[in-house]
Amino acid sequence: MTKNSISWMQNHVRRQLKISQNKNLDSSTVKLATKDLKAKFGKAQVLKGINITFPENRVTAIMGPSGCGKTTLIRCLNRIHELTPNAKVEGEVILDGVNIYSPQVDPVAIRRRIGMVFQKANPFPTMSIFDNAVAGLKLAGVRNKETLDRVAERSLRMAFLWDEVKNDLKKSGLNLSGGQQQRLCIARALAVEPEVILMDEPCSALDPLATAKIEESIAALKKDFTVVIVTHNLQQAARVSDFTAFMYLGQLIEFGATKDIFEAPKNPLTEKYITGEFG
Amino acid sequence: MSRIIDRGLEDQSVLIVRMGELTYDTLALSIHGYLEGKSVQEQVRELSDILLSMADKVEDETFQLIARFQPVATDLRTIKSYMKIGNDFARYGRYALDISFINDQVSGLKQCEPWTRDYISEMSEKVLSMVKTSVNALKKQDILLAKAISQTEREVDKMYFDYLQKLITAENANSKCVISSALMTRYLERIADHAVYVCESIVYIVTGEKVALG
Repeated sequence: MTKNSISWMQNHVRRQLKISQNKNLDSSTVKLATKDLKAKFGKAQVLKGINITFPENRVTAIMGPSGCGKTTLIRCLNRIHELTPNAKVEGEVILDGVNIYSPQVDPVAIRRRIGMVFQKANPFPTMSIFDNAVAGLKLAGVRNKETLDRVAERSLRMAFLWDEVKNDLKKSGLNLSGGQQQRLCIARALAVEPEVILMDEPCSALDPLATAKIEESIAALKKDFTVVIVTHNLQQAARVSDFTAFMYLGQLIEFGATKDIFEAPKNPLTEKYITGEFG
Repeated sequence: MSRIIDRGLEDQSVLIVRMGELTYDTLALSIHGYLEGKSVQEQVRELSDILLSMADKVEDETFQLIARFQPVATDLRTIKSYMKIGNDFARYGRYALDISFINDQVSGLKQCEPWTRDYISEMSEKVLSMVKTSVNALKKQDILLAKAISQTEREVDKMYFDYLQKLITAENANSKCVISSALMTRYLERIADHAVYVCESIVYIVTGEKVALG
């Protein structure tokens, strides 16, 4: 961690504290941060210099209208964005004080430390529930059956899925309901023991009951992980997150404690968005 | 763009302003009854009951709006504050009833010296002006008007404590007058406090800040 990065993050946290008047952030360590992050698809500038910090062991929700750049932002956080043709990133993403875009950093190692759950549940169709859960570990070369059994059970429990599938582990992941498949994907992300979990609208295709189970697992996950969730559902952001960021046209408009953002947002654009005047 | 929630918020706004106006009328009736020695208890009881049922309606509407629309930001602050203001207005009604009660049961100001009536009359005017200010600030969502209430509240507080001091040091005071006027000044002081609470709610609705104006 360079002195420069530490000093920048400290100053940035102070600035955010001033904006949100949030006292909880005092006791939180910053796990992940971005510094003047810009992203492009071809000539289209999608992110226009984002500075944001994600406190450790907290859930941060990112909300904003379609096309505001929230999905691009989280895809930059674990270097998935650069896999897209014509995509370009500038600025820094700082994980535990280290810029993950530094040339010496291995993007594959970063994606293990920062896992991702996508909008649409995507279990591997030819694999069983068990194999789906430990797919990441197997890819990393783990073959020990005892280890795989232990990790599969632990990650399925953390995703609140174990009790529903423990007798059907050999069945295909596609036999599960949409909500169960999404929880299986969460379990798969957890199995490689990431430090940060990024979720891109994980409940957008789910019914209220399945959504409630995912939200329950998110609330439990923050004990061990730092969670960043992109959501279109304002009530979901209000329910599950400790901090909320509002983005508009590629810029971070407001960041603060979720309670403050939903009770008394400082920026009129945030107010208009969350009260349904636009979006 | 008009939103579905706007209609519910507008209905609640109309209801709470109407309640404010009725509150002022109820208090004015009760206080003037006390100062003039007229029995108005039955009329005040009727109005107080109406205010209570209006407060219930505000509360019901609030829960409906929360359940159906999950309001946030200004919408949330508004309906939360309207429920609180509804309760403040219902308390006004209750104090009006209490004042009409002391007029009938403790013989009002009949046993008091003329200066006492003048003193309480002056205090009553200040308190009624505070109630009017709170209702007007609510109607206009005017935070400058709301914040201006602090000065009068301090004057009312001072008059209350000065009056208690006068009672403590008074010799040969008539006991009925002491009880009646002590209760009356106490109720006036409490009404003034509720006018301040209403004004604090208005500032919260408009700015999101929780201020203490008292």
